[in-house]
Amino acid sequence: MLKRSWRKSEKGRKMQKTEYEKKEQDSLSNSFNNNVQNLRDIYKNCSDVVFRPFFIAGKGKAILVYIEGLANTEEIDDNVLSPLMQESTEYDDIKTLLKKRIAVSNVKELATFSDCVDQISIGNPVILIDGRATGFSLDLSKWEQRSVEEPSAEQVIRGPREGFIETLQVNSSMLRRKIRSPEFKMQAMEVGRYTKTKVIIAYMDGIVNKTLLEEVNNRLKRIDIDGVLESGIIEEFIEDNPYSPFPQLLTTERPDVAAANLLEGRVVIMVDGTPFVMIAPTTLYSFFQSNEDYYSRFLIASLIRWLRYFLVVMSLLLPSLYVAVLTFHQEMLPTTLIISVAASREQVPFPALVEALIMEITFEALREAGLRLPKQVGSAVSIVGALVIGESAVQAGIISAPMVIVVSFTGIASFTIPRYSAAIAIRMLRFPMIFLAGTLGLLGIMLGIITIIVHLCTLRSFGVPYLSPMAPMNASGMKDVLIRAPWWSLRTRPHFTGGYNRYRQPPDQKPGPKKGKEK
Amino acid sequence: MINLYFRKLTNILLCICLCFFMLLLTGCWDRTEINDLALVLGTGIDKTDDNKIQLSVQLSIPKAMGGTQQGTGGGGSGKPTIVKKATGSTIYDAMSRLQEKVSRKIFWGHNRVVIFGEALAKDGIRKDIDFFARHPEPRLRAYTFVSTGKAIDILEVIPELERSSAEIARELANFKIGMSVTVKDLLQMLNSGADSAALPWLEINPTEGLRVNGTAVFKKDKMKGSINDKLTRGLLWLRDDVHLATVTIEPKNTKGSISFNLLRSKTKLVPKIVDGKWQMIAKITTEDDAVENDTALNLMDPKIVKDLEKQLAQRINQRIRMTLNLVQKDMRIDVFGFGEAFHRKYPNEWEKVKGHWSEKFPEIEVKIDSKAHIRRPGMSTEPQGIPKNEVKK
Repeated sequence: MLKRSWRKSEKGRKMQKTEYEKKEQDSLSNSFNNNVQNLRDIYKNCSDVVFRPFFIAGKGKAILVYIEGLANTEEIDDNVLSPLMQESTEYDDIKTLLKKRIAVSNVKELATFSDCVDQISIGNPVILIDGRATGFSLDLSKWEQRSVEEPSAEQVIRGPREGFIETLQVNSSMLRRKIRSPEFKMQAMEVGRYTKTKVIIAYMDGIVNKTLLEEVNNRLKRIDIDGVLESGIIEEFIEDNPYSPFPQLLTTERPDVAAANLLEGRVVIMVDGTPFVMIAPTTLYSFFQSNEDYYSRFLIASLIRWLRYFLVVMSLLLPSLYVAVLTFHQEMLPTTLIISVAASREQVPFPALVEALIMEITFEALREAGLRLPKQVGSAVSIVGALVIGESAVQAGIISAPMVIVVSFTGIASFTIPRYSAAIAIRMLRFPMIFLAGTLGLLGIMLGIITIIVHLCTLRSFGVPYLSPMAPMNASGMKDVLIRAPWWSLRTRPHFTGGYNRYRQPPDQKPGPKKGKEK
Repeated sequence: MINLYFRKLTNILLCICLCFFMLLLTGCWDRTEINDLALVLGTGIDKTDDNKIQLSVQLSIPKAMGGTQQGTGGGGSGKPTIVKKATGSTIYDAMSRLQEKVSRKIFWGHNRVVIFGEALAKDGIRKDIDFFARHPEPRLRAYTFVSTGKAIDILEVIPELERSSAEIARELANFKIGMSVTVKDLLQMLNSGADSAALPWLEINPTEGLRVNGTAVFKKDKMKGSINDKLTRGLLWLRDDVHLATVTIEPKNTKGSISFNLLRSKTKLVPKIVDGKWQMIAKITTEDDAVENDTALNLMDPKIVKDLEKQLAQRINQRIRMTLNLVQKDMRIDVFGFGEAFHRKYPNEWEKVKGHWSEKFPEIEVKIDSKAHIRRPGMSTEPQGIPKNEVKK
């Protein structure tokens, strides 16, 4: 049976080329009618593709092809059709005509049908002219797009409020506005057989590790898929360990986060059609760092980091610790506390393990429901949820009050993790930990922690150890992990990504009166 | 390729299988829900007439004890604790009998107080203390007491302020007004060469409830006698166990008295053997605050303070002498830790007298070298409530 399933997957490897792809391979011919017919065949049954035949200067046959809604028809009328169609225009060679008459900044000559299709599909109108084996595309695309807004998943109190949008051009321009140096490079490629999604690999030349860049390129090139609708699809193709619960690529909606990572020598992968860009390589600690850490004052940022580390541990362990102590290690709690807990558990029919699981699942259900529901219903859910898992469950004697406190604290703790993908990983690991605690007590929790740590030690993100700079230890990297050192002392870039160009800035920039004698 | 795929698959299957096998492991065997436990708050051990052990435990009733009652349960309904008793030849034997009467598993992890009945203490406590050192559940940090009469009577007291009488005993021991001895301390005392122990003496006062009143003195593991509250103070000074003390002196040459509150005190026992004569020098340094002064003395005057310091030191000396007279000379029991001190400093000489320490001990000459410092005169400078001209300078 196994063998059969293996064969099946083997079949899927040989994907046949579509009829269209074969046609697109051809180059344009000298016959105008043939060319037009071919294009019409390719765009058969595409009601949104407009074929507009016209005569150049009343003589030369030509046709304009564009997609409704993607091309800027006003501009086409004003700058292309009207100057070309005027009878007074001398019918020259089309190339000179283009130079003289057409006021469009970017014009490309196209030799094959696939070029034509590419250009049409991104919204650029294409002109085919009688007697020429090439077409011309005019950069006159325009489509509806969302305006730049503050990303709702990554709110800040201090920091830029703009976020990426679904249009790649706008996103890359936002990055370019942040990093103006020509050393900021962007390589474009296409992924997706049908969607032909544009993907940009952005990096800082001179800072980035060349082999890393090569690796990112290779992994992206390997992808052969019919469509890319979000960067998450690409993420699953290029991450190092697909079975790990931990995310190995950082995603962000914020240009400032992307820019900061570029300057640390990381590579940013931008995908058209989604505001989420991916950053590689990533370490575990970057998931617990908010961009605001770097904008607020360093003392507070360091303290908040520690608070976050504590809460990360809490959100992973608190329910399991509670279960373990309550079922195996009752002597660990102070007497008065254990009596209060015992009193609240008097009427509870379930063992602590089951109680914890019920509460955690209810909490996760509420969270999920609140996430997906329309905003108008969301408040109703939260009211019902608070009543169900709070008051009523306790009063009915189904759940004990301390468990409600534990679960709600855990919930709050997990929400303090700045990156949602890491928060959800930790939330997921909470359940096996509760099971271990309920069966093996603190010993089980220790086993779980050891397993997680061993797994984290083996993880790599694009060759960079996931726990760096903690393991392997890199002392100067600690400045940005244990604390957030003040900017003037953050001299070096991260060891693994910025090794080529180590120093960010010259030393001795600490503000204050100058040391030594003034000249 | 196929091979690799196979290996991966079998690995995954193996992992899943192993996870299932884990459920068969006996990890859960000592899992107990907290509402299946009966928490022991205090233990009493008495001797029965037929030389058996009567074990009494004070169990908490969480329903009545736990903070806020759920639903309609009115606060203060019913007793917060119950006392159960059983007899047996050993403690554990008695406990298993006890378990027959209690619907929940008796849990010793929160036992904070062990009380020995007077009769049992006189008979010897060694074989009963073993349980508390050997069984994994009871804590070595539980406080031990000897009670007047039967220990079970103490457990049955229903207190007014605290939630259980065991808690009162524990808090009293915590204050360290009298002796406070944990199971661990007791074991150490019994193991030391001095072969003696001292436990706080707990008694029930019909009007005031529980009270630590003096100290029970043990020779080997048998109680030989008790000393009262006042003498206990002297014992504490010598054992360097004084933490909360009020010393009131009546200064010479004037009417009234001054009370001092102890800030900190340090006692150092310095053993000496000079020409075959065994000596013990107790160096005591105390620091005190004046908290009440009903004399006409002006405490701001350094001369007066110097004088008072001397009187204070003398007062402490007196106390210690009183205790020494009774315990060292009459009872001949070394509860002060002299034996340990000599053992450390003169191990060779100690080896010789080890066998007959109880005869050697009363012969030791004790010198008390106490120094008192009055650190602060309190919040007011001159004596309050008397005219200025009557203040003594």
